[in-house]
Amino acid sequence: MAPLQKRALYGLAFGVIWTVAIIVVFIFKGGVSTFNEDQGFRLIIDGIWVVGIVLYGILMHTLLRKRSQVDERDRLILGRAPLVQLWAVILSLVVWTIVLTEIYWDQGIPPIFMYLVLIFTLVVSTVAQSIGILIGYWKGVSHA
Amino acid sequence: MPSVSNIRNRIRRLRFDHDEMTQEELANKAGCTRQTIIALEQGKYVPSITLAFQIARAFGVALEEVFQYEEQS
Repeated sequence: MAPLQKRALYGLAFGVIWTVAIIVVFIFKGGVSTFNEDQGFRLIIDGIWVVGIVLYGILMHTLLRKRSQVDERDRLILGRAPLVQLWAVILSLVVWTIVLTEIYWDQGIPPIFMYLVLIFTLVVSTVAQSIGILIGYWKGVSHA
Repeated sequence: MPSVSNIRNRIRRLRFDHDEMTQEELANKAGCTRQTIIALEQGKYVPSITLAFQIARAFGVALEEVFQYEEQS
């Protein structure tokens, strides 16, 4: 397994655990209404996603420290991963927009959802980069 | 436009002809990872012209002795 592929696999595993942690804490602490009213709850969620991003960055840096571990094929795969990231972000924004619009059509969307959409989009973007890299290795890339 | 299927290479053969050079050794000489050599040998990857020359140089042969382009009818 190529070092970049291994990094993507660890990144995906970390991303899944991270996402599940956010969702579980969010649901068990009371959901949207509590999130809107309780500052302590908001700080817990902030802590999870900010620490998550920092840990993800450290993990990625630790797993692939040397430039020599990445060659032209890896760079080709890495260069195509943002396409998956872009589609994942667009898809998540489309889903959020449709779901929120339909649920809150009459009363208007509570502003706190802007914040949740941001957190979710950041997490999706991070995880999707790893998925994009893994798809690249699975499907294969070529200069021809 | 050439595709992966019509560019063939003799890397595996040349490795064995060069004292059974390992994939790791070739990768180190050519400046790529072992996984890229594996992908090349399996015909799943066509390298850049730079890497193609580096591989040929690692074997001490001309580029055409490593890579062949086959016109598809």
